Amino acid sequence: MLKIGNYVDVKKKAQEIGCNVPETLALIPRNFESARSKEDLVHESSALTVRKLWQQNNIIETPIEKPGEKLPLVAEAAFEWIGPTIFVAAMLLSQNPNLVTIALNVISNYLTDWFRGVVKERQKVKLNVIVEKKDGDYKKLEYEGELEGLKSLPGVIKVVYEKNE
Amino acid sequence: MNKEKEQLIEEFEHLTEDSAKFLFITRGKEFQQEAVEKLTALKQKISLFKEKAVENEDEDSANFALSLELFIGALISELRMWMALKEDDPNKAWDYLADAQLLVRNAAQAHRTAEERAEGYANKLYLLEKLLFPPQIFLSPGFIHTKEECSICGKEYGECEHIKGKAYMGKICHTIMKDIEIKEVSFVNEPAGKYRRVLQLTDEHGITRDLMTWKRIEKVD
Repeated sequence: MLKIGNYVDVKKKAQEIGCNVPETLALIPRNFESARSKEDLVHESSALTVRKLWQQNNIIETPIEKPGEKLPLVAEAAFEWIGPTIFVAAMLLSQNPNLVTIALNVISNYLTDWFRGVVKERQKVKLNVIVEKKDGDYKKLEYEGELEGLKSLPGVIKVVYEKNE
Repeated sequence: MNKEKEQLIEEFEHLTEDSAKFLFITRGKEFQQEAVEKLTALKQKISLFKEKAVENEDEDSANFALSLELFIGALISELRMWMALKEDDPNKAWDYLADAQLLVRNAAQAHRTAEERAEGYANKLYLLEKLLFPPQIFLSPGFIHTKEECSICGKEYGECEHIKGKAYMGKICHTIMKDIEIKEVSFVNEPAGKYRRVLQLTDEHGITRDLMTWKRIEKVD
């Protein structure tokens, strides 16, 4: 299941609450949109794993945390894999769209191993992607479903980025 | 080491095939107990092999041994599940089933040796869960924490190179949450662990029942 909705101006909000402004790819705290201050922000605990996977695959992230800052983590003891919210900047989509596909493939490959020895019916994934569109608007893509379905995300991100409303 | 590995695989295949004969409720408990003992002995032998592999810094062999150990652990748990059911202890049987499911998953994560076998076995255990036990109500806590420690190196998880769920020198990486604050407890259908479940319920007439057996539980004042 994929839901697409509006999202707050990420760069403006990051500035307002005193975070780094993400320029390419970033992990956004789960409550970024509703947070009133930087102190409210929390990451999904899976953010640490995704960050390491990207680093090990030379995928450069522009984190919203300032150097040395660490956000609290939220962990739900659910069976499904709850991923962090990924921000994809318009600049990245215009200059190096393949990097988005690679970044998502890295997650997908990790999850294939993560779900080994688990019946297909239970291999469920939740992942949100915030896309900065060509026209400067922001959209939130909420994916919830089978691991296989993650493959379709890069295509959807591209369409959302280019679509004029 | 390779020859030793081949021998272990051979013993493992022979014994898992033999033990499979007793993975039924109708089989005599004494045979199931005997199978548990044989499997435990092989598991110990594999553990020694793993220790040697770790000493030699042979990561592939250490993970291979871990995978077999975990798979054998899953078979032992299933055998114990059947025995517990015959002892009229379904709650204990449920815990053994949950153990088996967890162990078979870790076996598949640890090394490709058990991967294919684990997939079929995980399906079987899933079917057993649905066919043998009534639907369960699971509890899932949500936590906020500030730190996670890596089980492999003890460093802060965000600062080391180990990845959760992957095997390193005969151990699966997991994290230990630190400075925890419980945020909520929810009822879920698919929990991370199947051990946290509702054991008893009291209906509108004040009757309390064990959710597994449906037996009435008398209140002790």
